[in-house]
Amino acid sequence: MSETSIDPDRVRSILTRYPQGDGSGLIHALQDIQAEFGYVACEAVARLCEHLNIPLSKAFSVATFYKAFSLEPKGETIIRVCTGTACHIRGSQILADELSSLLDVEPGGTTKDLKFTLETVNCVGACAMAPVVAFNGVYQGNVQPGALTRKIRGGK
Amino acid sequence: MSEKVVNLEINGRGFQAREGMTILEVAKREGIPIPTLCHHDALEPVGACRLCMVEITHPNWRGWKGLVTACLYPVEEGLQVTTESQEIHQVRKTILDLLLARCPDAPYIQKVAAEHGVTATSFKKNEVQTVCILCGLCVRVCAVKGCNAIGTARRGIRREIAAPFGMPPPDCIGCTSCAHICPTDAIPWEDVNGVRKIWDQEFEMVRCVSCGRPIMPVTQLEFEAKRAGISPDYMTTCPACSQQKTLETIRTAFTIKRPASEDAVEAAS
Amino acid sequence: MRINSVKSLTRAAGRARGERKRLETEVLVCAGTGCLANGSMDVAEAFLGAIRRRKLEARLKLGFKTTGCHGFCEKGPLVIIQPQGIFYKGVKAKDVKEIVDQTLLKGQVIQRLLYRDPNTKQRVEQYAEIPFYSKQHRIALRNIGKIDPKCIDDCLAVGGYTGLAKALTEMKPTEVIDAVTESGLRGRGGGGFPTGRKWKTCREAEDPTKYVLCNADEGDPGAFMDRSICEGDPHAVLEGMVIGAWAVGASKGYIYVREEYPLAVKHLQAAIEQARERGFLGDDILGTGFSYDVQIARGGGAFVCGESSALMKSVAGEVGEPRAKYVHSVIRGLYDKPTVLNNVETWANVPWIITEGAAAFASLGTKKSTGTKTFSLVGKVKNTGLVEVPMGITLREIIYDIGGGIIKNRPFKGVQTGGPSGGCLPEGKLDLPVDFDTLTEAGSMMGSGGMIVMDDRTCMVDVARYFLKFLVDESCGKCVPCREGVHQLHQTVNDICAGNGRPGDLERIEALSDVVVKASLCALGKSAPNPILSTLRYFREEYEAHINDRKCPAGVCRNLFTFRISPEICNGCGLCAKSCPVDCIAGEKKEVHVIDASVCTRCGACRNVCPTDAVEVI
Repeated sequence: MSETSIDPDRVRSILTRYPQGDGSGLIHALQDIQAEFGYVACEAVARLCEHLNIPLSKAFSVATFYKAFSLEPKGETIIRVCTGTACHIRGSQILADELSSLLDVEPGGTTKDLKFTLETVNCVGACAMAPVVAFNGVYQGNVQPGALTRKIRGGK
Repeated sequence: MSEKVVNLEINGRGFQAREGMTILEVAKREGIPIPTLCHHDALEPVGACRLCMVEITHPNWRGWKGLVTACLYPVEEGLQVTTESQEIHQVRKTILDLLLARCPDAPYIQKVAAEHGVTATSFKKNEVQTVCILCGLCVRVCAVKGCNAIGTARRGIRREIAAPFGMPPPDCIGCTSCAHICPTDAIPWEDVNGVRKIWDQEFEMVRCVSCGRPIMPVTQLEFEAKRAGISPDYMTTCPACSQQKTLETIRTAFTIKRPASEDAVEAAS
Repeated sequence: MRINSVKSLTRAAGRARGERKRLETEVLVCAGTGCLANGSMDVAEAFLGAIRRRKLEARLKLGFKTTGCHGFCEKGPLVIIQPQGIFYKGVKAKDVKEIVDQTLLKGQVIQRLLYRDPNTKQRVEQYAEIPFYSKQHRIALRNIGKIDPKCIDDCLAVGGYTGLAKALTEMKPTEVIDAVTESGLRGRGGGGFPTGRKWKTCREAEDPTKYVLCNADEGDPGAFMDRSICEGDPHAVLEGMVIGAWAVGASKGYIYVREEYPLAVKHLQAAIEQARERGFLGDDILGTGFSYDVQIARGGGAFVCGESSALMKSVAGEVGEPRAKYVHSVIRGLYDKPTVLNNVETWANVPWIITEGAAAFASLGTKKSTGTKTFSLVGKVKNTGLVEVPMGITLREIIYDIGGGIIKNRPFKGVQTGGPSGGCLPEGKLDLPVDFDTLTEAGSMMGSGGMIVMDDRTCMVDVARYFLKFLVDESCGKCVPCREGVHQLHQTVNDICAGNGRPGDLERIEALSDVVVKASLCALGKSAPNPILSTLRYFREEYEAHINDRKCPAGVCRNLFTFRISPEICNGCGLCAKSCPVDCIAGEKKEVHVIDASVCTRCGACRNVCPTDAVEVI
């Protein structure tokens, strides 16, 4: 996998938002790193740990515990299939399976060409329009199997 | 810890304990056995293995009865504790059954499970080979050491003990405390020709200035000396030699004659 | 424009009300997450464009705003025209011109945009007359949909922060606690712990440093009450928290919000800034000398962080692992300091209780569950959305009167409440009153308010499997019974769904569940077996069909059934063939269609579209 190089200046500009030596900023700072680089890169996290004065092991535990963080770069389009209860009983599993076989990745994975990342999310709170699939944060409601295939094929 | 003394009952017998002690501490003091897997007296209890569950009857909450972990529950005035019952045994058996499904090949878990009457797991065996029961003793001892080199990674059934980013942990000093405290020998390490290997890392060992045997990794020596605020030079003698040295010093100072028998023992070894 | 006294608050509110009165017509466009997904931003922009171009503001004395969620998300985007109360649903940007021409300029109602009652087939013109709304009683949601959540003046116009003013200037902290206690308010996050008692213990804790927190980590899948409140009326939450802080003596707090709710974070952040500017947050609130400030803590995506001790760890930037709560968090919570944690809906109720009085709140609902409760009514129900009803209302009233019954009038099978910690209740329990204790007795729980309706095409074994999978993913993994036990439960149910169930599985499930309940460290583990235990209790025969007959009667577990088109019923419309993603349905128009079972993936798309119910499960 080709890793984006981590620009130290961009890391530094994130660090300045958090007071030195205050470990409580860890999760927020990791979120910023995730947003900036698309993943929590090891070298960025190491700099962060120095800044907040916390051990690297702690940051790694946090980065792997929470779903918001990814240790690897994500695809251009992040497809999130909502698998909340309302979506589930309206067939979201079928959508997730369909996307999984179409893109040839397991949920949580990224296609080799870095075009798509497929994720499942527990609930985006748009239950009334179940089943919901979000493309880079844009929600689509009442998604039917087949429609996704057309959409992905069209975009591919 | 508070000086206040409380009265409690364990298995029908009355005991006194300082407020703030846990049920497990009192039981241990009194020689009442309660099984544990994730507990160590020198470390903060976490209540992860749940093997030490005991039944309490609470003095206040209208006689509330229930299971609690002995390692965490603080004693209170009037508390009644039962450490053995059918229900408790069922819980302990199930926990060991589950751990045996997780680590079917861990001799220590096989032994403890057998002691509780579980010889084979009734659950689906883990497909991933592991002997780690995730008690977290290694992580806690590493933290107490002040290194915090390793930690937990991920969550739920995929939780594991790991070095950050799967690389040799930069904060590891090679002390092997983690490996020694592990009840199931899940952390491999070795000393070969004055080099220690642990967590995918090699550590050069300091040799004893007297006998030349490897004592500890250079990194550990520097870490410990810095923490103790002394020169590393004070720590370059192995424990055996330094004991010998101390004895010599005392003997010289008081001119005690060595008994003949000791010379004989030394000569023999 | 800092507000330094009750007097200046009254003046500011008066000014804001005056601004509103000046308007003759007001157009409200719903911009909650649901409507936004349906394209309400395009509608809003079309209105803004038309208003600017045609100078409607001056011509009609017209006001326009985007509001929080109206609750009726399924019908979005929603447009409401006040003071007439005209309710348009499913509005598209291209409809805006017509609305301006017909309704705003000529006062005519556009029939096709009105809501049509699915049962009576009648068009309903008025917001208040729609059954979905008419049975509701809104306290926590009192302002949502009426105000622009981004505008603090709009909030002041409807009485925002008057509860705070009253608490700070007319009531002692202990009197505030007494009022909350007398109101009977219980935690809306799931546990149902009496709020007043929680506050009292925290106030009496010795440590002078205390925290007041808000749990907006709405993790239950199928629930979005808290999201809607944070998006639609963030000031109500803040006001409640400041009142709580005054009552217990806290000077600092956090709102812990799910990162999956970006709009909620945005609106809360804006509200915090406005409230600080106006002197409702920060130092010397309303000139009384009392100080309290709030920060947002964004969650990292972990359901277990809804558990109080895990949430507090997460606020401190750590892994969200619960700890044993033999010492409660009201005594030793965030950073080991006494801490009050309530959820969004609980906080939103507090200002109302202070302004309207404890007795008014206690007069609603039942004796032990007072007030109202917000539910997200979703699943196989006609009217999905957010509803707030008095406690004690029956499940039947919610599902049939407000929800309009089951989609396509299919048979009702069960209703799931309480999220992953709750359970499924069958038809026989539909007349139970909805309150904390009754639902728990029946084997489910109130939880935070998710209510998922299921029809005969929902497999209850699959529902149990779904929740177990959820909990396996979300368990922190610290303690053995939850980490290993729930994993084993999930494996067993997975096997059953795959057609590999064995005799004795059900008994083994029950025995293991018993230990998981007793021995787990936190509430997540202790309640994890609930979905399976409640479905076993009410739908055991469905499990038995899976194990003994290798059949999934609902037609969900793909290894355990095949689809067949009944030649007697099929009218040859061809909709099934069009919907099939693998093109395995053949048949000429107006002739019986046939499914090629060797290709069929059993996705069920054909069954969902078939107008005559000809697709059978065999």
